[in-house]
Amino acid sequence: MISAAGLVAILPLVLLAGTPVALMLIIAVHRSHRMALGLTLLGLAASFGSLWIAADVVPQRVTALLRIDQYALVYFGMIIAATIAVAGLAYGYLEQHAVEKEEFYILLVTAALGAAVLAASSHFVSFFLGLEILSISLYALNAYIYSRKTALEAGIKYLVLAAASAAFLLFGMALIYAAVGTMEFGHMAELMMETAGPNRTLLLPGLAMVITGMGFKLALVPFHMWTPDVYQGAPPPVAAFIATVSKGGMFALLLRYFYRLELHNYAPIVAVFTIIAIASMLGGNLLALLQSNVKRILAYSSIAHMGYALVAFIASGMLAVEAVTFYLIAYFVTIIGAFGVVTVLSNGENDAESLQAYRGLFWRRPALAGVMTAMLLSLIGIPVTAGFIGKFYVVAAGASSSAWPLIIVLVISSSIGAFYYLRVIFALYAGAPETAERPAEVAPRMAFGSSVLVVLTLLLIWLGVYPAPLLHVIRAALPG
Amino acid sequence: MLELTGVIPAIPFFSFVLLAVFGPRMARRAVSVIGVGSIAASAIVSGIVTAAFISTPPAGWSYHEVIWQWMSVSGFQADIGFYLDALSVVMVLVITFVAFLIHLYSTEYMEGDEGYSRFFAYMNLFVASMVTLVLADNLLLLYLGWEGVGLCSYLLIGFWYTDPVNGRAARKAFIVTRVGDTSMVIGLFLIFHRLGTLNIQDLMNRATLQWPVGAAVAVAAAALLLGGAVGKSAQLPLQTWLPDAMAGPTPTSALIHAATMVTAGVYLIARTHVLFSLAPPVMLAVAVIGAATLLLAGCSALTQHDIKRVLAYSTISQIGYMFLALGVGAWSAAIFHFMTHAFFKALLFLAAGAVIQAQHEEHNIFKMGGLRRMIPITFWAFLIGGCALAGLPLITAGFYSKGMILWGSWSSPQGGPVLWIAGLVGVMLTSLYIFRVIFVAFFGEAQIAVEHPPRLAKNLPMVVLSALSISAGWLNLPPYLGNKLWLNDLLYTALPKVAEKQVGWITEDWSEGIITAAFVLGLVLAYELYLKHRGATRPLSDNALGRAIHELWYADWGFDFVYDKLLVTPVVWFAQVDKRDFIDKFYDGLAALSRACYRALSATESGRMRWYAASIVGGTVVFIFIVLVL
Repeated sequence: MISAAGLVAILPLVLLAGTPVALMLIIAVHRSHRMALGLTLLGLAASFGSLWIAADVVPQRVTALLRIDQYALVYFGMIIAATIAVAGLAYGYLEQHAVEKEEFYILLVTAALGAAVLAASSHFVSFFLGLEILSISLYALNAYIYSRKTALEAGIKYLVLAAASAAFLLFGMALIYAAVGTMEFGHMAELMMETAGPNRTLLLPGLAMVITGMGFKLALVPFHMWTPDVYQGAPPPVAAFIATVSKGGMFALLLRYFYRLELHNYAPIVAVFTIIAIASMLGGNLLALLQSNVKRILAYSSIAHMGYALVAFIASGMLAVEAVTFYLIAYFVTIIGAFGVVTVLSNGENDAESLQAYRGLFWRRPALAGVMTAMLLSLIGIPVTAGFIGKFYVVAAGASSSAWPLIIVLVISSSIGAFYYLRVIFALYAGAPETAERPAEVAPRMAFGSSVLVVLTLLLIWLGVYPAPLLHVIRAALPG
Repeated sequence: MLELTGVIPAIPFFSFVLLAVFGPRMARRAVSVIGVGSIAASAIVSGIVTAAFISTPPAGWSYHEVIWQWMSVSGFQADIGFYLDALSVVMVLVITFVAFLIHLYSTEYMEGDEGYSRFFAYMNLFVASMVTLVLADNLLLLYLGWEGVGLCSYLLIGFWYTDPVNGRAARKAFIVTRVGDTSMVIGLFLIFHRLGTLNIQDLMNRATLQWPVGAAVAVAAAALLLGGAVGKSAQLPLQTWLPDAMAGPTPTSALIHAATMVTAGVYLIARTHVLFSLAPPVMLAVAVIGAATLLLAGCSALTQHDIKRVLAYSTISQIGYMFLALGVGAWSAAIFHFMTHAFFKALLFLAAGAVIQAQHEEHNIFKMGGLRRMIPITFWAFLIGGCALAGLPLITAGFYSKGMILWGSWSSPQGGPVLWIAGLVGVMLTSLYIFRVIFVAFFGEAQIAVEHPPRLAKNLPMVVLSALSISAGWLNLPPYLGNKLWLNDLLYTALPKVAEKQVGWITEDWSEGIITAAFVLGLVLAYELYLKHRGATRPLSDNALGRAIHELWYADWGFDFVYDKLLVTPVVWFAQVDKRDFIDKFYDGLAALSRACYRALSATESGRMRWYAASIVGGTVVFIFIVLVL
């Protein structure tokens, strides 16, 4: 049974789960986009605030399924904050489209709940539950602008491929369960050490198949194929959500899973992750090289960035958790910011995705071009942005465990990456001021999204200049 | 009150951000208030900090504050921290105060300019960077300020960027100082590698413990830092950028020459003096560079027509004096001369700016004349500045600081007659070239009618700086005036005292007397050649030898020519010839390979779902295989 302290510990999750329910009831009575957004933000803010209440009682094991500790709370915070930003961006975007708007937030918060469950999961059952809560909401979110063919395509592709990878995941879990007889991460490590003979032959393929399920969600090579098509078809705020919240929740789980199961001791598994990291870094950056669709560029870039994060992860040591978490936070801010610019530039007819739409943006909308530049510089990893500290951390973590091949690939692929980010930056500043037509005023409905962008830009620089307080929080958070 | 230290660089930095973002849309008045007010506030705060530092000195005469930690990753730690001791207190007070006066002057000088807010934004950033450089407690933050100063000088020298000449001068300044900066960065790497820290006090402590005097590492580290200092402070052989840097607006020149930028090198050496003390050969090099620079630049200054170029060479020459002082271990004398120089050189530039604007942007002194009566305040300002520069005995500040340097160059263990004589000849040259300007431009017949006579915002800074150019010298009174060394006593809390050895027949009083004689000689020569008998120099330059020397001096001893022939032309030639060498092939190949990979990989993104699913399955199968086989 759940103790009182346990209830307090899962308060953030309860509030996250309660928000969609409240939304559904309200919508049934009265439709109002503004109210739906307000309620969503209220619920998310309450959940965010409850993190401090929960922080007093952690670590707590709540049933066999969830483990709420400082680490989980940090990731809750990231997930909730990112969802707030996405909701803010989505408001203006949805206003431009003739769709039912209120349900969007139900799906969004439900998906965030799924990601949060993943971050706290210490059991295969909660793993799968969290994953499906997240995925099923995402199917609908991807295809939310259902009048568009590309959106439907994105939804269906994501549905089929996610189902296929989930099948592998389930099969992998079943094999592991067959080998060790438990689904809880806590005991698995010891039991796995003892397995030998035919059981070991079951165990190892099981572990590999679980990697497939995780790799799909993290969009790692070779499970990455869906990424560009889905990012391109989905509404930009949803793409930002998939790139951050969905991946962040899964990465949190991956770290916990890896440490609890002590998978560092399994050379073949580490080898598989090394291959994946190298393939993701090179593949992601090379695929983006001459791409002219900004959404696809960001999709490929996110593949590469997950590869970078894996470098720190493979490098091991407790510096790794610190490095990965900081890297993910920097990545969250940056990717949401970049997709935020795409969102704010989009209109009812089409999204601002071709590079052509960004040519000479500086001369028309200098502030927006400035935000985009800041985000791209952070993705490259230029000092004074959060991206620099993140990358520095990753390289330091890699160097401290002498993972030189990985670091060399990271450096090479980063320089390839700089090429296409700079291509976008050049486009932003191309063209003389007199040739550009008079700027279209920022649509008032995008005002909310614009303020989100301002906050993200300030956050980006703040984290780049003064990361100490955040690092202090991260250092205290280790996966248990 | 010392906690306010961090505020000193913060104020101009925030006003820079404000002006950079909102400046173009602001009223001129608002720009002036923010641009000048920020520096005024910064100067007031540094005044308060200085007063607090002197009245209630902190323990050990130093105050250290880490504002925040930028990052700390596996042994490497980068702090944003400030270190306050007598050295940085004096530097910061002088920098902010002089910068404030220059900013005030600029409101009038730049009043008609389009880029008014841009100008103040750059100037504010300049001051913020310089103060950061001086207050930094570690070499990394110092380097940030160092590069910030370099960037701002580039932006300000090329301020009127529509003229390609200015852009060229800006690039030259940036690239030449970059040579020095590269050397400094390597020095930083070396220091961090060997001593494991970049905190200046820690690294000096560790260096004294780990490195014996004259150790190869210490010599290398000090020499690399010296490379950086030589570039920033425009000393031989990297002095060529400074005369061209006159392309910027005159207040910029005043700021670069008096309070910021060129003194950064002097500060760097004084700040890391322990490292230099461990490397006697480098100390000698510093002294020799200083002595050589002061003579060479003094000769070049003699031949220039452009009033600003004369002042530019005089800056190079005066910084040479500071290097000479540093090289012989007379640390406090160098800082004393930095301070007096900041006052009188700022004064000279501001007066020169007033002259130039009054004379329709004319820079050539031989086309001016009789300005003494037409703009009297400017005349008196320039005269006082010039006297201080040349070292008019007893009255002006330059006399005291230069006297102390020369005495150090004679009496310190590292000093000797050669350095002393070099400094002495420099005094004569200085007096000759500055009175040449004064007699030619301000006396004689008027040639160009005066327009835009300076008003209050220009006159007030000139008057204040005139007063300081006289009185600042009294902070250190030599033995025959009572031996009251107030400034030195303060500086000795941070810098070691100059050691005195057995000095032979010359005493300090004698040294000062001989300097006076050198000054008078220069003055009389200038009077004879440029006022009493105008054109008396013609016979000198009419013969072939005289003309050759004149040409050589005028062209800065041919440094630009030699660099052009020795470095620029061969490099450009080689680059032309070697356009398609194997290194390029390698990178071209890399690019082609990347493109080919892009095409191949893009083909996999076919949009077909069955293909995507196959990739998932294929990947899983391969991984299962790896897991089972390995």
